[in-house]
Amino acid sequence: MVRRRRIWTRLGVLGLPAAIACGGREPVGADAFAGFCAEVRPRVTAYVERAAAEHSVPADPRYGGTVVVGTVADLPGGMNAAIVTSYTATQYQQFVSLMTLVRYDADLVPQPYLARSWEVNPDTTALTFHLRSDVYWHDGVRTDAHDVAFTYRTVTDPATGFPNPAYWDLYDRGPEGVEVVDDSTVTFHLRPHADFLDAWRATAILPEHLLGDVPPERLMQHPFNSECPVGNGPFVFVEHRPNERWVFEANPAFPAELGGRPFVDRLVHRVIPEQTTLLTELLTGGIQVYVGAQPDQAKQIQADPDVDLITFTHREVAYVAWNSRRPQLADRRVRTALTMGVDRRRIVQAVLGGYGQIANSTVTPTNWQYDPDAVPDTPYDPDGARALLKEAGWIDRDGDGVRENAAGQPLTITLKYNQGARQRQTIAELMQAQLADIGVDIRPRVVDATTLTAQLFTEAKDFDAVVLSWVMDFRLDDRDMFDSRRLSGDFALSGTRNPELDRMLDTLQTVVDRDAAKPLWDEYQRLLVEEQPYTFLYFVDRIAGVRKSVHDVRVDKRGEWVGVHDWWLDPSAR
Amino acid sequence: MSRYLARRILGAIPLLLGIATLVFFVLAIAPGDPATYLIQPGMTAEVVARIRSNFGLDQPLLLRYVKWLGAMLTGDFGYSFSFGRPVLDVIRTFLPNTLLLSGCALVLSFVGGVVLGALQAARQYSKTDSVLSVVLLFFYSMPSFWLALMLMLVFSVFARSVWHWPFWLPVSGMTSMDYASLGLGGRILDRAWHLVLPTVSLTLVLTAGIARFMRSSMLEVVRQDYIRTARAKGLPERTVVFKHALRNALIPVITLAGLYIPLLFGGTVFIEYVFSWPGMGKAIVDAIVARDYPLVMATSFLFAAMVVVGNLLADVLYAVVDPRIRHG
Repeated sequence: MVRRRRIWTRLGVLGLPAAIACGGREPVGADAFAGFCAEVRPRVTAYVERAAAEHSVPADPRYGGTVVVGTVADLPGGMNAAIVTSYTATQYQQFVSLMTLVRYDADLVPQPYLARSWEVNPDTTALTFHLRSDVYWHDGVRTDAHDVAFTYRTVTDPATGFPNPAYWDLYDRGPEGVEVVDDSTVTFHLRPHADFLDAWRATAILPEHLLGDVPPERLMQHPFNSECPVGNGPFVFVEHRPNERWVFEANPAFPAELGGRPFVDRLVHRVIPEQTTLLTELLTGGIQVYVGAQPDQAKQIQADPDVDLITFTHREVAYVAWNSRRPQLADRRVRTALTMGVDRRRIVQAVLGGYGQIANSTVTPTNWQYDPDAVPDTPYDPDGARALLKEAGWIDRDGDGVRENAAGQPLTITLKYNQGARQRQTIAELMQAQLADIGVDIRPRVVDATTLTAQLFTEAKDFDAVVLSWVMDFRLDDRDMFDSRRLSGDFALSGTRNPELDRMLDTLQTVVDRDAAKPLWDEYQRLLVEEQPYTFLYFVDRIAGVRKSVHDVRVDKRGEWVGVHDWWLDPSAR
Repeated sequence: MSRYLARRILGAIPLLLGIATLVFFVLAIAPGDPATYLIQPGMTAEVVARIRSNFGLDQPLLLRYVKWLGAMLTGDFGYSFSFGRPVLDVIRTFLPNTLLLSGCALVLSFVGGVVLGALQAARQYSKTDSVLSVVLLFFYSMPSFWLALMLMLVFSVFARSVWHWPFWLPVSGMTSMDYASLGLGGRILDRAWHLVLPTVSLTLVLTAGIARFMRSSMLEVVRQDYIRTARAKGLPERTVVFKHALRNALIPVITLAGLYIPLLFGGTVFIEYVFSWPGMGKAIVDAIVARDYPLVMATSFLFAAMVVVGNLLADVLYAVVDPRIRHG
């Protein structure tokens, strides 16, 4: 399953260093990797000096200056692509510090990047990449096929604990799955599946000469991650002060064919945990780019003549999962009525100030499968909802305003959300009010985030309903959520059983051709709407504020940092 | 005195061990663990189990406790789960920042609080007293993060774009982006410049409390017989207030100072958030949410130690300034 967690919006706000970890089996002395940085740093400095001497800065007014980007969170897991798949850290790996084999264009069609080209055999079981030969790690060592094979072996080694093994679900995992043909050619073995290149767009390549000797279970503690990472991308790592900032500088030797040296001399990622402070810094010029602005801040950003507001549709979907193991939620008519009883348009207005759109399935507007006309909407219809509940046997028998079943049990549902998630709290409260109208007793309950995770994503499944949101991936795979053969799995929140849906989920993974897959995706979403395991609420727009002194900041569904190589700072603002 | 000190310090050891043990088991009871915190779709149960075992969490609780205790006694606090580096490194990164900020704030607020409180008491029921009372009460009842945002608005946003002052204060961070290229003098100035707003926000709130405390302590003292005696034997008011009253009124304030010492270590979470000050407060809160056991254990242990030391320090100072205690 290929989707990243974005359950605890507020956790991001808290700046929680999420995806990393450590504390090996034995308490380890502070000096286990002590020499690493001291050894690596001088090599990087020497490489950058040499590269700067060999590649002079072109005579173009766009070169120079420092751009400061601000967000609420540090980059947990840093630049180690094998242990972190969180949104912002991945953006820095893909577009700033490291390189991926392929990258997407604006239409999400894979384009060459570290791989000059690739080919697939006719039955899609062998995928061969031909690498560029002019890409160097920032300590001067050339990036080659061995690095690619090493990265693959590492992320598919269970000991690493790579957070999203579903990327490689249909690849032959482990050492047998990869073959180094020569220094610049590498072949992977896989079973045919849809969007099989996506994993190579997502996962950046790591340096074997630096990490090859590290036991995979110790990778989470390695100084490479956030103390002295060595990349091969357009920017060279300079410094990281935890909870304060990351500093990168332009790589003078970045291949000319890929754009050469980036325009800005320095790129700084500042950690500012409070949104109000972030906005203030943006409006007073302390930062030039504010990533992840809140909907209620958009007006202020727009009102400032020196700042541009940038929004784009993100692949995040917010939803309420109904636990069908609970007797009152076992009937799909009840779940459908709950969706019909919720005015999602009002929720989008209240929670997102309109920066979002109504969702009916997991297929987000950023996915190629997205086609709202092909998916039936479940519009707001309180009367229809009442009729449906009545049909399912839920009638207000004692006149207290809450429906009961024949046994006299009231239709009471506890709706959980995590602490600190203001938007989810609003959602829960609005739903409580709206569903009270159709005789459903919703009881919002706030739970500490980690506790809630333990209640949801373990066998306990200790909840009736929960407000959540996922960041979906570009390659969709919903089997963990809706496949009834994975009911014991951690992510089968709803636990509905639908053999037709199961078959469809399998088929979807294996159809390589998009044209052939499209009608199947439409059919899948129709089945999902019928089953109503979730009430899908909305797709979120991401919002950013950019000072006009930074030119050519082009942002799209690939993320805020996609064009960072081409940003340039107005000479008057340097 | 040294016997007294030795007894107190020895007494603190079982206390600290008890606190550490309690924290360890309370954390273990809390739902979820660091691996839970990392769960995301796409992760198989096998991966979760792997991460758990990479953390060493697959071992029995008692074994983990014994290992942790043994390591800690040799000064090894292990690796922070969430920062991916040794716990001591993490503390070494954030503690100096917190010490700088809360140290400045504590010194300023004690000096300010003592002066203002004494002034109020010396002029009880005067106009100065009432005005100061109202102003101090105002700051005392302000939530510090709100006050911080208002200061930010006035001294940074309005100062810059509305009133066009020749200077304005930085709203966040500890240093400017060009810090590395500054000379020594420039660096000190830059740091001090960034310290102003957070320190003032903290100081205003703290000062108010200390001044109230000082005022009542001082009023208590001026009612004593020895003050009346001092006045009766014709000493100038200045000598009465500063020499006889003030010094005695300071004694309870010293206790207060001891209680504030842990603040030096824990910092204040809200101020750290608002001004993006990379300090201990935020690190501790984040660690608790992420169930970063080693970091939580180490910080709560150190925090407890600070409380013990703070109290001890207060008692010792007490003995120093008050001969009755010293000899009693």
